[in-house]
Amino acid sequence: MDSACALSAKGNQNMSSTTATRAVVDLNGVTRAYSRGGERLVVLDALDFTIEEGDRVAIMGPSGSGKTTLLNLIGGLDKPGSGSVRVAGEELTELSPPELARWRAGNVGIVFQGFNLIPVLSAQENVELPLLLTRLSRSERRAHAAHALELVGLADRASHRPGQLSGGQEQRVAIARAIVSDPTLILADEPTGDLDRASADSVMALLARLNEELGKTVVIVTHDPLAAASAKRSVHLDKGRWKSDGESA
Amino acid sequence: MPTLLIFRNLLRHKLRTALTVGSLAIAVFLLCVLRALVVSLDAGVRNSTSDRLIVQSAVSLFVNLPASYLGKLQAVEGVDSVARLQWFGGYYQDPSSFFGQFGVDPEEFLDMYPEFKIVDGSRERFLSERTACIVGRQTADRYGFKVGDTVPIIGTIFQRLDGTPWEFQVAGIYELDSIVWDETTIFFPFEYLEESLEGGTASGPPGSGVIYMHLAEGVNPVNIAAEVDGLFENGPQRVQTTTEAEFNAQFVSMVGNIPFFVTTIGGGVLAAILLAVINTMLLSGREQRHDMGVLKALGFSDWAVFGVMLGQGVVLCVLGGGVGIGLAQLSAPEIAKLLGTMFPGFEMTSEILTSACTLSLGIGLLSGALPAAATRKLMAVDAFRRGA
Repeated sequence: MDSACALSAKGNQNMSSTTATRAVVDLNGVTRAYSRGGERLVVLDALDFTIEEGDRVAIMGPSGSGKTTLLNLIGGLDKPGSGSVRVAGEELTELSPPELARWRAGNVGIVFQGFNLIPVLSAQENVELPLLLTRLSRSERRAHAAHALELVGLADRASHRPGQLSGGQEQRVAIARAIVSDPTLILADEPTGDLDRASADSVMALLARLNEELGKTVVIVTHDPLAAASAKRSVHLDKGRWKSDGESA
Repeated sequence: MPTLLIFRNLLRHKLRTALTVGSLAIAVFLLCVLRALVVSLDAGVRNSTSDRLIVQSAVSLFVNLPASYLGKLQAVEGVDSVARLQWFGGYYQDPSSFFGQFGVDPEEFLDMYPEFKIVDGSRERFLSERTACIVGRQTADRYGFKVGDTVPIIGTIFQRLDGTPWEFQVAGIYELDSIVWDETTIFFPFEYLEESLEGGTASGPPGSGVIYMHLAEGVNPVNIAAEVDGLFENGPQRVQTTTEAEFNAQFVSMVGNIPFFVTTIGGGVLAAILLAVINTMLLSGREQRHDMGVLKALGFSDWAVFGVMLGQGVVLCVLGGGVGIGLAQLSAPEIAKLLGTMFPGFEMTSEILTSACTLSLGIGLLSGALPAAATRKLMAVDAFRRGA
């Protein structure tokens, strides 16, 4: 519980300093296209999208519909061809790559489908990684990482390397890494894609808890209707355009 | 933590890292040894001084100078002292036990070569006893010669008519301050040889092979050399006067293109190991592309991931180079013993070791920079796409 309190402190401060309905993500007319074999492939087509603070949104859609590209744009990992991407009060299209890197470190926690843990580091060290970009001392970093691992129920696996953990445990370590720096926004790309049903449910429950107890805004890209059902709202992409947008439950 | 990542990634494939470090160590060790060989070849040239001139026959080094030349050379203005040197060319016990022997004018020779230090025994005994000799430290250690021992040398150019070997009493053991000569040679009084030839107890060519001249301070050696050459232009034996450096350089050139071949082999070794390490690092870079993408996604800068990759190359090469340098330094005395009289100046100098350090670091920087540059440019989304 102490861990939860420590990690929620900044989130609560953020929430108190803004109105409950502040837009954390605000995309306007976003287009992203790639050139492939000499042809221009439009992945996102003049897309508008708004996510309010404290929301938990599931983005669904078939393969190639542009879900991951949209998530990459929100996370500042990619830039649109045109349009505006405003996230956590910052216009990302105007930031240089180093500025984007700094912005990501302070504002976004990313959970990947393939977990993307560094195999040569222990769970504790993986979770500590984002904190290297802060001014925290080594002991403070260790304490924060331990709290995050405790929060995801893996305090007893801190010294294990990713190869020594199950898929579900790896994903929980990845979630601990995503929340350790207390970001405003948690982005999860197919977080249950490589997991069995029980592990998937556990991960979705954890994301729901982070949203409800710590006030984190959570955006989940998923194929899984059951995972999407646990979100407050789900939206559907198809060929780079919205198909529908409504309450999921 | 990025520093930790450097070491953890190097241990990701322990065998590969060990093999790369091993190959680097062998290459650097080899380069150090080859470099030391080249340096040893011209050590005598580098340590030569300009106040010593050597007079030899203009025909050949193997043609002796007449005995009368000594006085004439001593009389040249600007010449401080002169000393005769005669290559003896004998052997100890059997022809394979070879080391140099020279007949010299003891006092004059030691005076013009303050680099010779008699560390055991007596200089005075060497100067006063007809059959005394001084022995270089390496030869004394190799054959166990001690002060007071008699060293029998079987003559080849100069033979005793009764068929017995020449016998020299060890008056002292010498070491050198700098490599103007080597520590394998035996020097004995030229007069002993001269008297034996004149007294009819030995056979061999008369005269002396070369005459060393020590110049007075401030004298121009070029002028003296020209004067001496002019002095004997009309015979009976024309001479060629050279500085000590030029004289020693003759012997380096006698070994032909050894420095060139050795340097070429060293260059080949260097190029091969550089390519091998670059290949290893490129392979590591490809393997770690996904991890580097993760670091970037977490907010690490392009230069931070560049540093992680570059650091791996540097640590790998410094480690391999360090092992090679350590091996070279530790084994240098044994290698010098093995090489014996072939490369008397063989030593692992600080210059060679510093060059090897710089070289190792350079290979590390170069091999790490290629994958590091590619990683720096990599976008996180591309890393995940390609790594998937």
